[in-house]
Amino acid sequence: MADFFQLLFSGLATGSIYALAALGFTLLWQASGTINFAQGEFVMLPAFAMLAFASFGMPMPLSFFLTIVLAIAVLGWAFKRGIVDPLFRYGMMQIVVATIGLSIAMRNGVRLTGAEAHPFPSLFADRIYNIAGVTVTQSDIGTLVLAMLLVIGTQAFLARTITGRAMQAVAQNTESASVLGINVPRMIFYTFAINAILACAAALLVTPVYLAKFDMGESLGTKAFFAAVIGGFNNSRGALLGGLIVGVGENLAAAYVSAAYKDAVALALFMVVILFKPQGLLGRKEERKV
Amino acid sequence: MSGPLLEVKGLKKSYGAIRAVGGVSFQVMPGEIFGVIGPNGSGKTTMFNSVLGQIEPDAGEIHLNGQNITGLSPLQLNQRGVGRTFQTLQVFGKMSVRDNLIVAAQEHRGTMWSRMFAPGDSGLGAKADELIDLFGIRHVADKPAGSLSYGQQKLVDIAMAFMSEPALVLLDEPCAGVNPSLVGGISTLLKQLNQQSGVGKRASSFVVIEHNMDFVMDLCHRIMVMVEGEVMAIGTPDEIRANKQVLAAYLGS
Repeated sequence: MADFFQLLFSGLATGSIYALAALGFTLLWQASGTINFAQGEFVMLPAFAMLAFASFGMPMPLSFFLTIVLAIAVLGWAFKRGIVDPLFRYGMMQIVVATIGLSIAMRNGVRLTGAEAHPFPSLFADRIYNIAGVTVTQSDIGTLVLAMLLVIGTQAFLARTITGRAMQAVAQNTESASVLGINVPRMIFYTFAINAILACAAALLVTPVYLAKFDMGESLGTKAFFAAVIGGFNNSRGALLGGLIVGVGENLAAAYVSAAYKDAVALALFMVVILFKPQGLLGRKEERKV
Repeated sequence: MSGPLLEVKGLKKSYGAIRAVGGVSFQVMPGEIFGVIGPNGSGKTTMFNSVLGQIEPDAGEIHLNGQNITGLSPLQLNQRGVGRTFQTLQVFGKMSVRDNLIVAAQEHRGTMWSRMFAPGDSGLGAKADELIDLFGIRHVADKPAGSLSYGQQKLVDIAMAFMSEPALVLLDEPCAGVNPSLVGGISTLLKQLNQQSGVGKRASSFVVIEHNMDFVMDLCHRIMVMVEGEVMAIGTPDEIRANKQVLAAYLGS
């Protein structure tokens, strides 16, 4: 039984990282109808940016801060202006294909600098705690707590601040929002900026485990996408739930079924949800003009 | 004596070979309720959308307080004190009625940073409560707007347009689809808002598109009749009622 709780806990920690990336998927979808299949690479690039800043002798917190600024500019503003805005009027499929292309370009662009995996410093000490017979690492606890704080913080921003509510208004009815004087392009940019910030945080949490490698975002991006669909693509709480389910499911399957099937868990859950509840566990059906 | 609040001069808009608005001119004075009537397809909504910057007119000028506002975006017009309601419901369904009202005026308060980080309502709560009471929607103020009846949502929709204390409000069929028992209420509300009994400091002018003749005749100070994209007549309700051309073309026998 202690084993089970151990697997459950470390699964929750991994799942909370999926949730961060999945939350980005749902935010972009709700605000701008964009599905970003380069989401995994949006986590990989900040990891390399942090390492690059650190290699100039900058302390980690400063590297992280500079990476966030850079990510807002590149993964937020430039991504929106360069790819989403020009393609938006042609439809969602065009954006999907463009982001798949972007992910390949980013991955192989980084590969040019080298294909080896770089170690990445962990935020947490290498300590292990024993709580009622269950062994948990400080890294698992820290990852779970930080990721949860970020998800809850994002939710609170959207629900409680005036700007957050204006962003929701844009997501629900763009035409009405613009007539009411809400600056729609700015609100959509904020969504892209939040997505970039969440990606930096995910990079900070996931890279010590995955190591900084050009293809580290490949499975992360796919799993985050599955997690977002499982939880409900149009519900931010669904992203959290989906992420945790995938993280825990993977860990349990690896231990009780076979480690070889670990990466198939997200896909299997995704197919079951698509078959029986296509709007996702917490999502609602939506109609869109095509 | 000040000039007109809104002046539309020679407004034209065609869609391909179809002429939706063919040279419409009119003035709306400060504090005036100006009605626009006409059969379906007479260009009323196209005229509205041109004034509001949602579509670009082919020709003509629109002036607000003497300033040329032709081609400004809905956002820029909102900042200059122009609000509107839609023919179809445009409330934010998942937000509470109160939040709908607060969001409707948020760009008029604080700075970009204060709106981003200060929690709460940016001091708009009192204004929202005032309108909630005036519109008699206190009992549903905390419910998601999407869960309300059509008539109630319509009230929320109208209230939202008044949150930023606009100088000019364009109302597109405020009575469409509303239970007849509620129509009188909407008329009374609009008269109250026009005369500023308790809300805001400035007198508001309205431009109202509506098919309900009793409503228009009762509410409006002057009425413009549009037929096939042209102005057929402009006058007081009595003058319009007495205009034989209007009676023949629009009101029927």
